[in-house]
Amino acid sequence: MSVLASVWQWFADPSHWQGENGVPTRIVEHVQLSAESVLIGAVIALPLGIALGHYGRFGNLAINISNVGRSVPSFAILVVAFQIFGLGDLPVILALTALAIPPMVTNSYVALREVDPDVRDAARGMGYRELAQLFRVELPLAVPLLMAGIRTSAVQVVATATLAALIAGGGLGRYIIDGFGQQNYPMMISGAILVALLALATEVSLSAVERLLVPRGIRLLMAPKMRRATSFKVA
Amino acid sequence: MTGGLFLDVVDPWINWDWLGAHISYVLGAFGQHLELTLIAVTLGLLIALPLGIAAQRTRWLRVTALGVFGTFYTIPSLALFALLVPYTGIDTVQTAEIPLVGYNVLILLRNVVVGLDAVPRDVLDAADGMGYRPFARTLRVELPLALPAIFAGLRVATVSTIGIITITAVIGLGGFGQLINQGLQESFHSPLVVATILSITFALVADLLLFAGQRLALPWARQA
Amino acid sequence: MNRRPIWLITVLAAAATLAAACGSSGGGSASKGTITIGGFDFAESSVLSQLYGQALARDGYTVNYKLRLGNREVVAPALKAGQIDMYAGYSATELEYYNGKLGEASSDVTATTAKLNLRLQPLQLEALTPSAAVDQNAFAVPKAIAQKYNLTKLSDLAAVGSQLVLGGPAECPTRPFCQPGLEKTYGIHFKSFKALDADGPLTRAAFANGSIQVGLVFTTDSDLGKLGLVVLQDDKHLENADNVVPIIRTKVATDEVKTVLNRISANLTTEELITMNGQVELLHQDPDAVARAFLQQHKYFGG
Repeated sequence: MSVLASVWQWFADPSHWQGENGVPTRIVEHVQLSAESVLIGAVIALPLGIALGHYGRFGNLAINISNVGRSVPSFAILVVAFQIFGLGDLPVILALTALAIPPMVTNSYVALREVDPDVRDAARGMGYRELAQLFRVELPLAVPLLMAGIRTSAVQVVATATLAALIAGGGLGRYIIDGFGQQNYPMMISGAILVALLALATEVSLSAVERLLVPRGIRLLMAPKMRRATSFKVA
Repeated sequence: MTGGLFLDVVDPWINWDWLGAHISYVLGAFGQHLELTLIAVTLGLLIALPLGIAAQRTRWLRVTALGVFGTFYTIPSLALFALLVPYTGIDTVQTAEIPLVGYNVLILLRNVVVGLDAVPRDVLDAADGMGYRPFARTLRVELPLALPAIFAGLRVATVSTIGIITITAVIGLGGFGQLINQGLQESFHSPLVVATILSITFALVADLLLFAGQRLALPWARQA
Repeated sequence: MNRRPIWLITVLAAAATLAAACGSSGGGSASKGTITIGGFDFAESSVLSQLYGQALARDGYTVNYKLRLGNREVVAPALKAGQIDMYAGYSATELEYYNGKLGEASSDVTATTAKLNLRLQPLQLEALTPSAAVDQNAFAVPKAIAQKYNLTKLSDLAAVGSQLVLGGPAECPTRPFCQPGLEKTYGIHFKSFKALDADGPLTRAAFANGSIQVGLVFTTDSDLGKLGLVVLQDDKHLENADNVVPIIRTKVATDEVKTVLNRISANLTTEELITMNGQVELLHQDPDAVARAFLQQHKYFGG
């Protein structure tokens, strides 16, 4: 049977859609692990990056932290997390959060820095005080790059979450690892396809969120800067 | 010896005696890691550069190449390594390199195209006016101006590759990933911690070297 | 325009790549031949591979090691394809792998190995003389669970299996001596299965945090008692003669090679295997150092 046919058959098998090892369960696990990690990461990274960008402090640190973050091998971080925290969701989320933070810090720093200084001056001239200036003037302008950072982080986390299976975690990586162990190629390929689709869906949906949040005029204005947000593969 | 929140008296996070006795093992792992990285980045560049030059001018090629390699990019590396084993063998350079090169081609392709796109129209016109033939114009005018973007891509590709190589431990290779795998399977902290630190250091040093290389190659260009 | 540094960097990178690639190919002096030994991804396999490998090296062969490759589903195809020349297998499990799970294995190691060789011959493979050392699958439960459900043997699980989670390596649901065997021979249907590793840290951690109640372990484990685990007796003899036996490509299995390997197998006992496993897994000694100590003890070097 050809590879495509066997994969098609794997997806067509109803037993693969039920139960603990079924596609819906695994997708939900994967999304849960990824979403929680990105959320917690955002709660830590965004205020930090925004503050640093707003005050213009520690720029080198903020920009280079994503460099350092990218240098950390995700496989290693997951194993370290397992050796400290044991099994379950906690080590996986901790490891993924650690990986999610650096790009969001850097991108939010850059996003705030990119706000036109003339706009800042105008705001100050109009009488905006510090916090109001941040929330009402700078942040709305910074949203495109901010969202780019979150999007990069999220897609990275979704890809890395497949490695959670190496420390007995759940998610779509299970199909790949278990498939490899059982030499069950339809399962492995189906798992790979599902992860790829999920990563694409993450990218698309977060782009849609960005479209909603950013007024069209600003989006066009920001277009040249957006191309700088290069996505990065860690797993 | 389970993973747990207790003081591991027998197993410190780095056992320096173990490290001292295993220098050649660690160096061997580094050698493998270095070899795999060099092949992946060099081949990636060798493919992405001409492909990118061609794709930047030809609309259908740009869309197709970026589409194909972009799709390849979304496939998790773990899956690709595992899937290639029956075709290209376990513990072989090919099985490791095909996905690695594929990912690097995408990163570098994007950056080559973006870099070439960014060359100002008037510079191109001036070059044409000065009599540069198309091939010469590409080589001597466009590419040098696109170098900052290409270097940026090289840095991203290199650091990314160094991280992903650790995953090839699953198919018998791994570079520093061998030590990570050993640490996992034997509940042993030292190889894991040593490998993590060395892998991060390697990636940062490589990034720094490329940054220095960029400065050397482009003395006129301000670092973006 | 300063193009020289770019070319320099390119040439250096290319040179480094070539150097690295060339450096990895080893040169052999007057050796009797090269043998590549593959190993499974658990400590005992690394120890056995080193035992056989060092004996061969001592005899004048050039030995390459490809250890921690994975499970049998990965290693056996590598052997069939010639990427490795031999691996240290376990007689009964090998038979059930190569005969497509026919259920031919028994506790008679000689008969089992003979049937194994029948299966291996068309593949140009061969099983040598099995050792007395045995490492079988076994199933363990934490002491508390054993007390709670009054478990001493595997057949005791039939009644309570549906309340318990089984843990084991990813291939357990498809291996005759694992989950399917428990279902067929003992009628045990577990609540669910959790894919972990082959009696490694993941399995032990799962026992510790209660996410599994029954787990696959190996009979050569040195620390089960210390971990509070009780091995359930295999009263219906699901597990069979899993004696250590080298599986080797016939082309490489010259008489001399066979003599060397069989001598190691003859001298290996289960107790020594347990000791060596303990040294690697608990004391974090290197498999090659542990193997060397064994060979020295048995006077292989200069003896």
